[in-house]
Amino acid sequence: MAQKSNRWKQLQPYFQSMKAPFKAIWADPLGRPGSILFILILFVAIFAPVLATHDPHVMNENIEGTAAPFVDGEWQRMSVIGDRPLNSTAVISPGESYSVGREGIILHFDGDEWVEKESPVDISLQSVDFFSPEFGFAVGEKGTIILFDGQAWQQVDSPVEIMLKGVAVPAEDMALAVGEEGTILQWDGSSWTRLESPTERDLNAVFMTSPDSGVLVGGRGTIIHYEEGEFVNASFRTMLDGTFRDLNAVAISPEGFGFTTGQRGEILGFDGEDWFNMSSPESRELTGVGIVDADKAYIVGIRGIVLEYDGEAWSRMDLGYRRSFRGLDISEGYGFGIGTDPYINELSPPTRDHLFGTTHLGRDIWSQVMYGSRTALIVGIVTALLVNIIGVVIGLVSGYFRGRVDNILMRIVDIMYGLPLEPFAIILVLIFRPSLWIIILAIGLLTWRTNARIIRSQVLSLVERPFIKAARVAGAGDLRIILVHIAPNILPLAFLQLAVAIGYAITAEATLSFLGLGPPRLYSWGTILHAARLSGAWRTAWWWIIPPGVFISLTVVSVFLISRSLEVLTNPRLRGGNTRAPGSK
Amino acid sequence: MGKKEFIIRRLLQMVVTFLIILTGLFFVFRLALPDPTSALVMEGLSAEAQAMVRARFGLDRPLWQQYFIYLGNFFQGEFGMSFHYRSAIAPIVWEKMLNTLVLMFPAIIISYSTGPILGVILSWRRGSRVEYSGIVGGLFLRSAPVFWTGMIFIMLFGITLGILPTSGMRTLPYEATGFLDKVFTLDFLWHLILPAMTIAIYYMALPMLIMRNTMLEVMGEDFIELCQAKGLSERVIMYKHAARNALLPVVTQAAITIGLAVGGQVVVEVVFSWPGLGREIIQSVRTSDFPMAQACFMLMAGMVMVMNFLADLLYGYLDPRVVYQKGGK
Repeated sequence: MAQKSNRWKQLQPYFQSMKAPFKAIWADPLGRPGSILFILILFVAIFAPVLATHDPHVMNENIEGTAAPFVDGEWQRMSVIGDRPLNSTAVISPGESYSVGREGIILHFDGDEWVEKESPVDISLQSVDFFSPEFGFAVGEKGTIILFDGQAWQQVDSPVEIMLKGVAVPAEDMALAVGEEGTILQWDGSSWTRLESPTERDLNAVFMTSPDSGVLVGGRGTIIHYEEGEFVNASFRTMLDGTFRDLNAVAISPEGFGFTTGQRGEILGFDGEDWFNMSSPESRELTGVGIVDADKAYIVGIRGIVLEYDGEAWSRMDLGYRRSFRGLDISEGYGFGIGTDPYINELSPPTRDHLFGTTHLGRDIWSQVMYGSRTALIVGIVTALLVNIIGVVIGLVSGYFRGRVDNILMRIVDIMYGLPLEPFAIILVLIFRPSLWIIILAIGLLTWRTNARIIRSQVLSLVERPFIKAARVAGAGDLRIILVHIAPNILPLAFLQLAVAIGYAITAEATLSFLGLGPPRLYSWGTILHAARLSGAWRTAWWWIIPPGVFISLTVVSVFLISRSLEVLTNPRLRGGNTRAPGSK
Repeated sequence: MGKKEFIIRRLLQMVVTFLIILTGLFFVFRLALPDPTSALVMEGLSAEAQAMVRARFGLDRPLWQQYFIYLGNFFQGEFGMSFHYRSAIAPIVWEKMLNTLVLMFPAIIISYSTGPILGVILSWRRGSRVEYSGIVGGLFLRSAPVFWTGMIFIMLFGITLGILPTSGMRTLPYEATGFLDKVFTLDFLWHLILPAMTIAIYYMALPMLIMRNTMLEVMGEDFIELCQAKGLSERVIMYKHAARNALLPVVTQAAITIGLAVGGQVVVEVVFSWPGLGREIIQSVRTSDFPMAQACFMLMAGMVMVMNFLADLLYGYLDPRVVYQKGGK
């Protein structure tokens, strides 16, 4: 018991000197905001996963619905018409169209602009078709079928739960819908029923020229004709015609000829009797077909592909579109190509979704900066502790024992002063691999020199004080004098050095990471700026440059303010206003 | 011990330090690249031809002999062959070093001539809003990483306003017969403005803040009171008597800071595509050009040591109280 209280007494000076720095920081008019700022950044680092709105590695995609109008034989500029990708469009008349797409979006074009309509469902709609402006259907995922009755869209009962991909409405009492696994549904004017299917392959599109006649196309080159209630396999001109590629779209003209198209630029023609292969100028996926007249037809595809038919052959058109088409419908020489696959939201200026904008790879800068705070603080604090421990031990030993030990240690310090930090770290990376440890090691190995010098000079002056001499006379050993009498007295100075070292280490980490010496998959404020510089886009993308730099500066400022208030503690001459007090040397 | 002895001792110490670093570097590089022949010769070279290359470069001798050859060559200014350029390193590196110095000196001179003056002004306006904002502004400038301010400057002056060049030392293409020919042109000065200002602003804050602190200390001393009693004007007391005495810690700090600046220079050279030592050492890491990295590093370390030495001399010159005695500082 007595032993225990004795030990407690020995530790007391440590606790006393531990409390003093915090009091000093809080008492200082600049130290207080500094410590508040530092605590805030500490919170940011701890709660980075919560604060980050996106995964910093993910390339963010923008999903918008776009439409390219085809008016009077001319393609017009593609424009954004909704905030979700569109899958299908139906042109009712030159002044009226509908488009449907992901999350149940329904857009209506009244001749001037696209307006979003209230939708009864929120799952992806794949296809839409109209018999008249007052009657149409749209179908989509999970067997969803919705009906437009001239007033509003409403969901109707579906006999299946399978993905439906195509619908055609040639009359008010006749409609066909097709979907995956060969599903074929028929509307008889009051309800949908499932028909016996001649195939088990996926069906992707259906086109009806009249209530009695139509064509269904689908996976692996499936083409099925519907003739007066019967399903008939397509006939081909020769044995060699036909395809094994998936077909995505089909259109038949009132005159009876038509086209179907699909994967890998596949195009098949229909002459009214037989299907035949056509040579295609494209090898990428084609998604929509629309016929103007016997001498004019269009096919659209991914990446803004538009192909034109001049009555004999298909040729590529360069219209400068870049977004992918998902569907095309042309009626009475007027139509829309619609779609867009998600595209990468690159170099976006700050928006509500991306508070600091995005990088050239569509990555969210806000989230990167949030995660970057972790790297900065971990490196800053770990390195500062390392530096301080080395510095204090060497300073204590050097200052207390003096003589030869001191001489050797201080010559080592002199040598360390000859090494420039950044080149030293660069050499380390050249020899080893870039990693966080190399950065910590480089900063740690080089910056203890200052700490050691400062601690040493403090110890040198402490050793001459009477109470140390008294302790020595009382028979205290070296270790005891160092630990019990000297160490507590250099704690405030060590604290100050710790704060300075944190600031220095954070700047050094940012600098080395900026030079590309940091680990590549870990975000730090320096690596963000490194990526920005590598991309070349930073010269205009201010939102990419400013946030990480401001965060570095604020963090370092906060520790500087803290260290400044600690300086007052270790150097009482800095205290108060005009230092005219008697005794101030 | 006199001044002369101090200088000689300090010079000797410098040479020893340099030697130790050089030795360390030699063995560290040998550890990383045990057989430099593999980097020098093409693959598929016959064994005899490889042996010839080894003999030519002295790589067939024992390590300690190689070490002395290396030392001898280094002090003759012979740094070896660059893996990347496939030519002698020395002429390349000397030019890069001049390029570095020509950027660094103006910047350091600007920061250490304006910084202390600003510090005097701050201490003069003690307790005012000027002082407060000066401290916070100074701390912020010192905290903002120098490469970041450089990037902001490039964006602001180079891209948005389009008034200053942002990369290189001269407008390309240019012809120059020598280093002096390259540097003594308006075009060069024009290219110097942004990088030099970036460095100067970064290093200005520290002397300013230190100057303010020591000025406040000095103002409490007796001789200031004496000056006031003599009826000297505030201005004269400030600049002639107080500032001169407060300059000392600034110089001490300068010794350390200028040493650090040699390393900090790397990042500025990278941002401004300044063809100096720093950019070269980064490039040598990318191309695994070991001898080049070694030469650049030693030159930079040498620069640091020379700067520290000069600062020490200046310190003694400024403070007559300094006694050169044994035992180091």
